[in-house]
Amino acid sequence: MTIRNLPLGAFLVRGLAFALLWWVLADGRTDAWGLGAVGAVAAAAASLRLLPPVRRRIGIAALVRFLAFFLWNSLRGGLQVAVMALRRRPGLRPAILEISLALPPGAPRLLLVNAITLMPGSLGARLSDDGRLRVHVLDARLPVAAELRALEVHIARLFGVARGGAS
Amino acid sequence: MIEFASAALLFIGAFFYFAGTVGLLRFPDIYTRLHALAKADNLGLGFVLAGLALRAETLAAALKLLLIWPLALAASAAVTYAIAQRAETLGIAPWRGEEEP
Repeated sequence: MTIRNLPLGAFLVRGLAFALLWWVLADGRTDAWGLGAVGAVAAAAASLRLLPPVRRRIGIAALVRFLAFFLWNSLRGGLQVAVMALRRRPGLRPAILEISLALPPGAPRLLLVNAITLMPGSLGARLSDDGRLRVHVLDARLPVAAELRALEVHIARLFGVARGGAS
Repeated sequence: MIEFASAALLFIGAFFYFAGTVGLLRFPDIYTRLHALAKADNLGLGFVLAGLALRAETLAAALKLLLIWPLALAASAAVTYAIAQRAETLGIAPWRGEEEP
């Protein structure tokens, strides 16, 4: 693939994003902008090669909703585990849950497995190829399974994919 | 005002780091300790970075500080999963608790 065949719109957007990243990393200094420009162009070209633009776009609204959900629940998860750690009796009742993911393989599952660890009371322990996920739960009395389903719905909406298969 | 907000954020961050470390020391097995580390320390880092970003001298420096958070978050989540999966593979059984229902 040569530079000429690259989709121009995606190239411009990514190039600008990398230029912004350079500006941030250089602490706003502009005395080496030439090197930064070369870096941004090279990074944009490499990113198009490694991660070609796809037709399916992530909607801004879905992204904002996902981020809000994620931030709120990671805050809840952190507070919950902090309280457990600091109170006299932690009151742990660990268990292993096994759930079947309804998300397709690839990026959606990857995001789910990584996000689970920051959600209240859950920790991803093993994802098998057939989409079954073992989840370690801090306290079996918490409604972890329902919350994971909610997370799954958010991720499905984010990627614009249907949650087919098992549920 | 900004000084105060920054100090408050740094304090909250320190609290989460403290709680995460207490959890690491007090919790009974590898899985529960991973819960404490991953969740509490990520919040600690987020609040500390937000507090420091308020004190940054330039916008670029503030953004740079805030950029650390998602990167550390991704690394921490991936590493936590890797450790948990390895523990599972080695057959380390989770601590089941002593408390009565």
